[in-house]
Amino acid sequence: MPESKETRERILQIASIIIEELKLEEITPESFDPDLDLVDELGVDSMDLATVALVLQDEYGVFIDEDDYPKLKTVRLIAEYLQSRLQGRKGKDA
Amino acid sequence: MPDDREGRGDDGGRPAGRPEGPDHRRWKFSELLADPAVKARWETVRKYFFLRESTYDMSNRCNLRCDGCYYYEGEKQLARENGDAEAWRSLMRAEKARGITYVVLAGAEPSLVPGLLEVCFAEMPLGCIATNGVRRIDPAVGYKIHISVWGNDATSLRVRKASELLGRQIENYRDDPRAVFVYTFTSENIDEAAGVVDVLTAAECRVTFNMFSSPVGYTGPLRHDGVSLIRTRGVMQEMMARHPRRVLFSPYSVVAHTHALGLHDLYGCSYPRMNPSTDIGLGRSFRQFRTDLTWDRDAACCVPDTDCGDCRHYAAGSAVVTARLYRHVTDPWTFRSWLDYVDTYLAVWVMGYEKGENLCAEMVSPPRV
Repeated sequence: MPESKETRERILQIASIIIEELKLEEITPESFDPDLDLVDELGVDSMDLATVALVLQDEYGVFIDEDDYPKLKTVRLIAEYLQSRLQGRKGKDA
Repeated sequence: MPDDREGRGDDGGRPAGRPEGPDHRRWKFSELLADPAVKARWETVRKYFFLRESTYDMSNRCNLRCDGCYYYEGEKQLARENGDAEAWRSLMRAEKARGITYVVLAGAEPSLVPGLLEVCFAEMPLGCIATNGVRRIDPAVGYKIHISVWGNDATSLRVRKASELLGRQIENYRDDPRAVFVYTFTSENIDEAAGVVDVLTAAECRVTFNMFSSPVGYTGPLRHDGVSLIRTRGVMQEMMARHPRRVLFSPYSVVAHTHALGLHDLYGCSYPRMNPSTDIGLGRSFRQFRTDLTWDRDAACCVPDTDCGDCRHYAAGSAVVTARLYRHVTDPWTFRSWLDYVDTYLAVWVMGYEKGENLCAEMVSPPRV
């Protein structure tokens, strides 16, 4: 199923945060493979991932539980995770 | 009735500027970084997030035999000693290939195998050697060197069977930028610490603190109790105030290592021995190699055969407290305390890293899980 415009924008935004926080070079949000394994393929470690998670928390206003960090293995999984948290928040607000 | 605060993290006080009463505010990470000094320290320490450690027993021999020594507990002491330089070179290359960037060379006494130290340094430029300091390690080996101090000379003679040890250690490592003297507080040597630290700092040596952490099954007199933890805390604070440039420690280091609860209960140990997850972090990458170059995941931690419930080891804290960044972003005081802890750990373990001034002077309680 093709991804929605909203999902695509979120993926680009997350990629942008990762590039900035991890000071990645020679890569842009557009060229960042959303299915790249951040741990196995990019070499991201726990401290880097924690830093990214903290910035994402600020950006999206959602709480990311520390136990969920290992699930955030790709940009796409992060986008889906955030989507579910945001939907959960909306559900609570409704 | 005992004071409920005995051996706990807080001092009953409130950091300057912290509002009275419970702080229910949820701070954004960006707000915690708004202070330029905090932001600068964060940017400094995060440059070292690439460090990924493993540890290596270099020799099963030692020129001292200390009461309570962790090495001569458990099975690791029975491992065959592999003195083949090429085997060590291959191991270091393999470690580098799987992402290890920092090596801790320890047990039983690494200075007895100088050729292997040279091989490791040639392959892996960042690391630390834990030594008793009796033999000087070649200055060409540019690792940090941690020299273990367990009390004054009378105590060293009794516990380590070594005479005039402190003088020999200072003679070997005075003016050596690699050297950090590690004073291990036991329940028996607390009152000696001030005198020993005074001697070391007068010789311009740098000092940090460790806590005796009982090996599994140890019931001897060195083990800490609630009273000895409180007394140790007081001496650590006094030494930090008396020698701020030479004593590498922070108020939060004091809290974390003299708390009634050990590091595992406070923070959740992330070494494989206590952490089944292999997803990320130490559980994924850390190994503890024995002298025969094998390792056992079930036993792998920075000081194997330590009783985990009693572990307040400085090496463990350096990894375990540091790894819990996300638990320390609750408020400005807790985050500054964490930064001080990490700043201290880097100054103790990384060549060329100079400790900054502590950002939080108060004793902040560890975050509740």
